[in-house]
Amino acid sequence: MEQPLQEIYQGILDGDQGMVMDGVNQALAQNIQPADILNKAMIEAMGQVGKLFEEGEYFVPEMLIAARAMQAGLGILKPLLVEADVKSAGKVVAGTVKGDLHDIGKNLVTMMLEGAAFEIIDLGTDVSPEKFVEAVRETGAQIVAMSALLTTTMPSMKDTIEALKAAGLRQNVKIMVGGAPLTPEYAHEIGADGFAPDASRAVATAKQLLAS
Amino acid sequence: MTAKRLIDLCTTRQNPLVVPLMGFPGTQLTHSSIWQNEFNSDLQFRSIQALVERFEPDAIFYIMDLAVEAGAIGLPVLFPVDGSPTVRSHLVKDIQDLEQLKIVDILHDARVKTYLDVMQRMSSNLNIPKGAYVIGPFTLAGLMMGATELAMATIDNPALVHAAAEFATQTIIRYTGALVDAGADMIVILEPTATFISPKAFKKFSGQYVEKIIRSIEAMPVLHICGDTKHLISAMCETGAQGLSLDAPVDFNDTIQKIPSDMVLIGNIDPVRVMVYETPKGVEKAVHQLLTRMRGHQNFILSTGCDLPPETPLDNIAAFIKAGRNQN
Repeated sequence: MEQPLQEIYQGILDGDQGMVMDGVNQALAQNIQPADILNKAMIEAMGQVGKLFEEGEYFVPEMLIAARAMQAGLGILKPLLVEADVKSAGKVVAGTVKGDLHDIGKNLVTMMLEGAAFEIIDLGTDVSPEKFVEAVRETGAQIVAMSALLTTTMPSMKDTIEALKAAGLRQNVKIMVGGAPLTPEYAHEIGADGFAPDASRAVATAKQLLAS
Repeated sequence: MTAKRLIDLCTTRQNPLVVPLMGFPGTQLTHSSIWQNEFNSDLQFRSIQALVERFEPDAIFYIMDLAVEAGAIGLPVLFPVDGSPTVRSHLVKDIQDLEQLKIVDILHDARVKTYLDVMQRMSSNLNIPKGAYVIGPFTLAGLMMGATELAMATIDNPALVHAAAEFATQTIIRYTGALVDAGADMIVILEPTATFISPKAFKKFSGQYVEKIIRSIEAMPVLHICGDTKHLISAMCETGAQGLSLDAPVDFNDTIQKIPSDMVLIGNIDPVRVMVYETPKGVEKAVHQLLTRMRGHQNFILSTGCDLPPETPLDNIAAFIKAGRNQN
């Protein structure tokens, strides 16, 4: 790996925003293609972060600062990627469902997806079914990702799926759900297409959904 | 109060104590909303009393509420009519923000008074051990700062996390003292936010503060962390807690071997998958399986992995108790 790409890779693993931004600027100065910076350094590093998380080496804080460092670099790279017409891995509308204000799970998932080159439309927390529907309609997203931490707000996931059906948009999107009290069985029961037990595996789920 | 130990409650009996973490389902018995119970001590006491009369557990706790202390120090709290209250926004971005919260004496807060009054009524009217829940220091720091910000600050602004956890600790100590005066036999410290940090970070940002709270408590201290806490067990053992209340993802077979024999393991029937979604037969089966695995260990209390959701079928709670009593 070229030196600036190595710096970006290491900077992401260390959660060092400055190192990542330096690396990106250096890479661009050396005429390394934006798509290569994204694919060879950033996506590669976030994949490694996910792996370290699954292995119990990294925990949520390490994962969050890695993702934050990646986003700092992505901030510089994004306009250039658009210019070079580099396609995203897919467009995802994400949010914590209505009545639920917990954001950490949703943040981790969106950051990890972004680290795998997905484009994220983050609707935040306490997102009503109507807001999800509106966002899908406006953005043409291929995936809706919903999060819930409370057992009392889980039913809102089903309501959102029903609202997408009623709006005639259900067949346009794949729906994935996650959150501490959720189970794969519950996901299946409410008619979701995918379930992920954690942020790292949410990336694999999103990729599978788009490949199917 | 006499220095009763949790382990002594367990070893004086043949069968394990049966103590589901219930509170919310009591609202079904008093036909009331969670919101009403959070503000009205007489009503909450009646919900708890109704649970005790109907199910006859070996100990009882009041309704779990992770927003009491946060609201009392001045954080904005949202109260859904039939859901748990949640902190709406997180005010602490730096040490100065923290200073502003420090002027409050939480014992003047109306909801803190509600819970103290519930405990007093439980103490005067119920003849089984009474437990109170308080929030853990790292979790309260998370409500002050926001969970995402707190997580990142453990790495890049540890001084702020320590300051928030220390302030949380003083706040919680003030509350636990009043709860013990009101008659609490057991204090359960709820520290769910600590699930997502490493064992090393746990010791630094949660464990040492939990220990400080525990040292101040003149009642039986229990540490409860829900979710998957396998990686934290040994760090939790170092806090001085007399009991660990752990959730369904934790393997009790393995954990009971790891903890000291005078520390009590409490749990861990799945509160949602089993207690809400299973039939009474399914609940009995899950309880029997757990009891079989725990046979021969006196330092075990049969409980649920976390608080039971309000909609938990009452027949399932009855099945849980029944299966716990007939362990053969």
